[in-house]
Amino acid sequence: MTASGIDEDRDGSAMSPEPRRGWRTFASVVSVIGELLITAGLILGLFVVYSLWWTNVLADRESHKQSDQVRKHWAAAPPGPKGPGALDTKDGIGFLHVPAMDNGEVLVKKGTDNDILNEGVAGYYTKPVKSALPQDKQGNFALAAHRDGHGAKFHNIDKLKVGDPIVFETKDTWYVYKVYATLPQTSKYNVNVLDKIPAESGKHKAGRYITLTTCTPVYTSDYRYIVWGELERTEKVDADRTPPEELR
Amino acid sequence: MYGWIWRHLPGNTWVKALISVLLGLAVVFVLFQWVFPWAEPLLPFNDVTVDQGMAATR
Repeated sequence: MTASGIDEDRDGSAMSPEPRRGWRTFASVVSVIGELLITAGLILGLFVVYSLWWTNVLADRESHKQSDQVRKHWAAAPPGPKGPGALDTKDGIGFLHVPAMDNGEVLVKKGTDNDILNEGVAGYYTKPVKSALPQDKQGNFALAAHRDGHGAKFHNIDKLKVGDPIVFETKDTWYVYKVYATLPQTSKYNVNVLDKIPAESGKHKAGRYITLTTCTPVYTSDYRYIVWGELERTEKVDADRTPPEELR
Repeated sequence: MYGWIWRHLPGNTWVKALISVLLGLAVVFVLFQWVFPWAEPLLPFNDVTVDQGMAATR
């Protein structure tokens, strides 16, 4: 540019240099703005690729690694009388199997902060409400997971219908829940859905409930999608870890 | 802007093209590795929990 620019200047000076230089400055400013806009568009496009694809790759890799580790720890100490190893909250407490969501097993860990959920796992609430655990005599086992990106473990939550099974697997027990109510859209401030007795689901007696929460509509998080289930029965895990009939 | 970069890359057209591709990949890497992970929590696309509002919980 510099070499040819000088040439052009020389040619231009013969005619009218001042308006031409002004025009050229204007044109280059416009072209830089245009290029910046194109760049911004490309970056936004890349961000979509990042959110909907790359975070899934990372999260699936991480959750497989952690799931393998939990399975290995379980295998190292086979199910037996309840000991201190029965519930390892640091590694993850067990696996959620939801046939209707068709996404295999989901590792469940403690807490619902982003750094935990971004590992491609589901988390049980520690705040604003302290979730019950499946083995508790009564209470609400409240879980959250991503709808899109970061493993998208609850992406198909809308496929869950009343009567569908939700199975939670711990080291020594299968907890079989049945969905009895769903709430396709609620405010993100509606913490009542996590109550011990979730009144909004139509229950008024203490029981052993499970609550799944995620964001809705897909790709945004304006509202929350809620699914409630109630414990139907439990099964002891046998030596082969034979799954309950709902998962076969 | 891109024209300016292109003119300031050394070598002939093929070398310039190669360096351009490498620069592009480096930018994508920086974005995916640092910029997007930083930006994502600041954007309201992926909050999945119910809470009492940001003020109450964070």
